[in-house]
Amino acid sequence: MTGRYGRYALLRAAQAVIVILLAYVLTFLVISVLPGDPITNTLRDPQNGLSEDEIQQIVAHYGLDKQAIIQLFLSLGRFVTGDLGFSLQSNLPVAQLLGDSLPSTLALAGTALLLAVVFAVVIAYGAQYLPGRVAPGLLRSVPSLFLSVPNFVIGLVLIELFAFRLHAFTIIDPDSAVATFFAALTLAIPVSAPLAEILIANLDHESRQEYVLVARSRGLTKTRLFARHLVKPSMLPAVAMVALIVGELLGGAVITETIFGRDGIGTLVQKAVTSQDVPVLQAVVSLAAVVFVVVNLAADLVSPLLDPRLQPDRAAARTEPGVVVPA
Amino acid sequence: MKNPTPLRRVLRGLAVVVASTALLAACAGSAAPAASGTGTGEPVEGGDLTFLIQGYDGGWVSSKSSISSYEGNLWGEITDKLVYADEAGELSPWIAESWEELNGATEFVLNLKEGVTFSDGSPLDAAAVVANLDLWAKGNPDLGIPKVGLFPGSNYDRAEATDSSTVHVYFSSPALGFIPTLGYHGTILLSPETLALPLEEQADLTNQIGSGPFTVKSWEQGDSYVLQKRADYEWGPEALGHTGPAYLDTITYKVIKDTAVRTSTVVSGQADVAFNIEPQEIESLKAQGFGVATPRYLGFTDGFQVNTSIFPTNDVAVRQAIQSGIDRQEILDTVYTEDWTAATSFLQGNVPETGDYSDLLAYDPEASEQLLDDAGWTVGADGYRVKDGQTLEFTLSPNPYVPSTQAEDELIAQQLKTIGIKVNLKVVDVSGYAAIQADKPPLFQTSRSFVDVGTVAGVLTSQNGGEDWWKLGTSDEKLNELSTGIATASDRESRAVLADDLQQYVLEQGYSIPTVQLVQRLYLTNPKLQGVSFNGLAYANFYTAWFSE
Repeated sequence: MTGRYGRYALLRAAQAVIVILLAYVLTFLVISVLPGDPITNTLRDPQNGLSEDEIQQIVAHYGLDKQAIIQLFLSLGRFVTGDLGFSLQSNLPVAQLLGDSLPSTLALAGTALLLAVVFAVVIAYGAQYLPGRVAPGLLRSVPSLFLSVPNFVIGLVLIELFAFRLHAFTIIDPDSAVATFFAALTLAIPVSAPLAEILIANLDHESRQEYVLVARSRGLTKTRLFARHLVKPSMLPAVAMVALIVGELLGGAVITETIFGRDGIGTLVQKAVTSQDVPVLQAVVSLAAVVFVVVNLAADLVSPLLDPRLQPDRAAARTEPGVVVPA
Repeated sequence: MKNPTPLRRVLRGLAVVVASTALLAACAGSAAPAASGTGTGEPVEGGDLTFLIQGYDGGWVSSKSSISSYEGNLWGEITDKLVYADEAGELSPWIAESWEELNGATEFVLNLKEGVTFSDGSPLDAAAVVANLDLWAKGNPDLGIPKVGLFPGSNYDRAEATDSSTVHVYFSSPALGFIPTLGYHGTILLSPETLALPLEEQADLTNQIGSGPFTVKSWEQGDSYVLQKRADYEWGPEALGHTGPAYLDTITYKVIKDTAVRTSTVVSGQADVAFNIEPQEIESLKAQGFGVATPRYLGFTDGFQVNTSIFPTNDVAVRQAIQSGIDRQEILDTVYTEDWTAATSFLQGNVPETGDYSDLLAYDPEASEQLLDDAGWTVGADGYRVKDGQTLEFTLSPNPYVPSTQAEDELIAQQLKTIGIKVNLKVVDVSGYAAIQADKPPLFQTSRSFVDVGTVAGVLTSQNGGEDWWKLGTSDEKLNELSTGIATASDRESRAVLADDLQQYVLEQGYSIPTVQLVQRLYLTNPKLQGVSFNGLAYANFYTAWFSE
């Protein structure tokens, strides 16, 4: 058993490394297809009035005049030795930029994930057990409502109401607890929708099972039934979903951070994409790949605990999810 | 996913309605503070200013980034310049107390103010100025640092410190642009130690040691930057009527990407200045008592440069037809507010040498049609003109550095359609635009600020490594002469005559098609903020700013 598990773990780790390297290379290739680079773009700004020779001289200093494939191998060589290089735009070390942005995004994404799970559970529970027909029916429409309101609209409305009208927080200090809560709320609302839908569907499915009927016939209250018998099996697909949602959180962070003026990974990506700052982008995408791989691995490890039917050897046969490159 | 039930559809619709109503209500209800006017009175010491800006992405390696419209705001507070250039292009002493022009503007002597120090206590003396001049002229290619684009570098020979407060500068040919360029936002004085640092250390703003009225207290890249005043600052530009320490205690630059949020934050009183707001909002913000400044920089106007080497703008009739086929007044009325002014030349009106050529820029669609008719462009079935089987059409890409140009270009496309010219629009981002600048399509938007009209000589033709904006090479004899004449002029009077000739000629030939005078930097200010002035590069001086009680 341990030998088999060890092999499985080793295989997964090797897969993870390959995924991360592929993400690194892919980022480079995608960016190198686009015209221009951050150095030339800055220097070509008509405001600068530099001649073509002067621009080429500087571009050569950064090695951006070399063939793409040579640039790729040079940067790959630095990457495997743990050197993330320097931002082409700000000339600051990429590791420093990442380190500055990460805590803010972790706080935002963590709070948002928590809020999303709470929302999803509350909605699903209400849809299942609220008395009458109207209230559960309305609750069942909430996920579609959450999905159909764009993230930025929620953010702007929250800012206008709570920051500008009620002065609950200020946009000048976006990392305060209250500001982080509202930013997380913005992010959590659309993210909670698919979670809630899955939970509702699974609760529907599970509550039709015979064991539920048996449990109820033995006099279990609705709440105890929900907590002790229904939540666990219904959570299974939701746990797999959470792993995917991490990707969504990273993507959603771009918009949320931009609107709330937070300096996080999302804004870092957004700036790096617009300026084609390859070293920064490669580092962020690799980081996202690491997070994604780790979270999925964790989801795979948690699943057997929720459902004993899932054997480790069957889990190992599951395929690696694709890499999601945040926009 | 399942098909939405009727209830779901209703709820989705409801969600949108609720959200937009909330937004509308929020916008309409923003309570208007009573207009406090632009009261004068005695400046009040103290106060903390919060300045919202859309981004600080360019980094802090000085001559690599100080030219950016964003970073330039912060550099201006922590550094000084040798010369102060005001909104009318007038030069006055700053760190250079006086200057002399010798040998037909090929040599200059700068007499520096004594006792000026950088914020680390080292002297801003002649040796420090020489180190800065060398960098502006040549850059530091070993470090990957370019020269300052507009600095007369090609004929720069050397600078020598003759004593601790005198610098002698030598050029190989007349350099009338030298002194004005010392007031340019790219020519900021930094400590020689800073300039010698490796690139990644220069990227650390804390290492950027200037002599300005503020110093860097703390910063986080791309997020916020806190400056505090220097108590021993005593060398402000006399032109500002104040030379002692700044009135404000601190200035915090905070990055807020979203324009609507920047505006609302100032309106709600949580910040004092917002950089670059939507022109459409100016009227209502003013009505609410807020200050809106739309300073014009010295330089080229907003408008188009024309590639004369490709179809269809290789036909002078087409260029002239476009020149008189654009209704500039309609652009002002539709896209901008009364804070904008029509172009009278392809140079901004506050450049001293700019003349009034409004008659060459008058809207006259009949004349345009006549020009095109005479040149053999016949109107086809679809309303667009055709000649030798080719439709008269080209593609415009709005300038992403000036966001309002998209609305401008859409309007121009409509205007030119009425005279049978088909204009396609292609919207690109900054990196896409860099490629367009390199490709030079028939019409492209290029603008630039400068302090000295001599800069213009460098873009007209391909002579002496010129930028050749209009792709004429050296084919236009008259332009070659004018370009050489302006570049080598050794006195301002004779140069002004040439500049006058040049503007007339360029507009007649349709090489440059100006639209309006460019406002690239807009400032929304708290009504309590007083004493803000703007320099010739349209940057705010918060050095003299203060808050009324």
